[in-house]
Amino acid sequence: MNIIPMVAEAAGITGNLHIGLAALGAALGVGIIGMKASEAVGRNPGAATQILVQAILSTAFAEGIVFFAIFLTK
Amino acid sequence: MLRSEALRILVAFLLLSGGAAVASDSGHAEHDLSAKALEVFSVGPLKVTNSMLVTWVVAAAVIAFARHATKQIREVPEGAQNLWEWLVEGLYGFLEGVVGHDLVKKTFWFFSTIFLFILATNWFGLIPGVGTIGWSHVPIGTTSFSHIETPLLRGVNADLNMTLAMSMIFFVCWTVWALQANGPGGFLLHIFGPKGQTTGALKVLMIAVFLCVGVLEVVSILFRPVSLSFRLYGNVFAGENMLESMSAIVPSLAWLIPIPFYFMELLVGLVQALVFMLLTAVFTLLICTHEEGAHH
Repeated sequence: MNIIPMVAEAAGITGNLHIGLAALGAALGVGIIGMKASEAVGRNPGAATQILVQAILSTAFAEGIVFFAIFLTK
Repeated sequence: MLRSEALRILVAFLLLSGGAAVASDSGHAEHDLSAKALEVFSVGPLKVTNSMLVTWVVAAAVIAFARHATKQIREVPEGAQNLWEWLVEGLYGFLEGVVGHDLVKKTFWFFSTIFLFILATNWFGLIPGVGTIGWSHVPIGTTSFSHIETPLLRGVNADLNMTLAMSMIFFVCWTVWALQANGPGGFLLHIFGPKGQTTGALKVLMIAVFLCVGVLEVVSILFRPVSLSFRLYGNVFAGENMLESMSAIVPSLAWLIPIPFYFMELLVGLVQALVFMLLTAVFTLLICTHEEGAHH
């Protein structure tokens, strides 16, 4: 009945879907943060340090999701 | 004299990396990097793991370098003193911009130590030989050297015990600083108290709402050590795993393929040290700022 596990097995794909989804989301998040941070530095180069702090903090929170997904799985 | 010393170190590095390349040259496709640090030897009931060994080596090296650099303080700094002053002053200025003039005086010792230690351990873990020199249970001669079950050295932050210990130390410091800045009553008010100006019936509603928000806040505060330690461990362990996979992907090119990833891991080591320091600094700032401070 479950078509996705069958396809995955036939293709030889193993692993957890939710880790993949968390990684996808985190990657998108980190990308958007980087894009907006570069834009912000471009508009206001004087605030580069503060923007770096904000960007690194947001990046850390975004990527933290993946580690929860990896470690809290079984 | 200094130059010849540097040359000797370089030669040692080349030999080590050559050894590492040979060791992983005939690597199997399967790689089994242990998720936890392994015991190297034990002193009585105390088990000494390979990551503890590296912790001590790096800590001793950082302390020795700091002592050496500040042994003879000169008016016009040069050499090691110059480097050390640049590091400390740069960090101080950076942290002052993040947490403010008053708080940085009180908390600088912790954040700078955390940053320098994590940076030093992360970069030490990238030296060829860490993770590739060790013991194998397979007798020599019957198979390749590639299968090291117990490495002698292991990246410090690839051990969850270490990252959790650092997070817990921060948690204790954070509690102490929060209580010093707010007092016990102010501390509770800071977490559970209503924010913003409201009057009348709305105020009563806001008190109820912010009580519930406080409960959520407590949960998120209690989860901080977990997320801090998972983040650092996950990044460093994933990096080690990736380097190992990359050197096993094409056995004959094991010396070439990991090189770009070494540069990436250098960057990751710096960024993760920065992230740990910044997150702890911002958590401290959040609890230590008074609402009155926003008015003037």
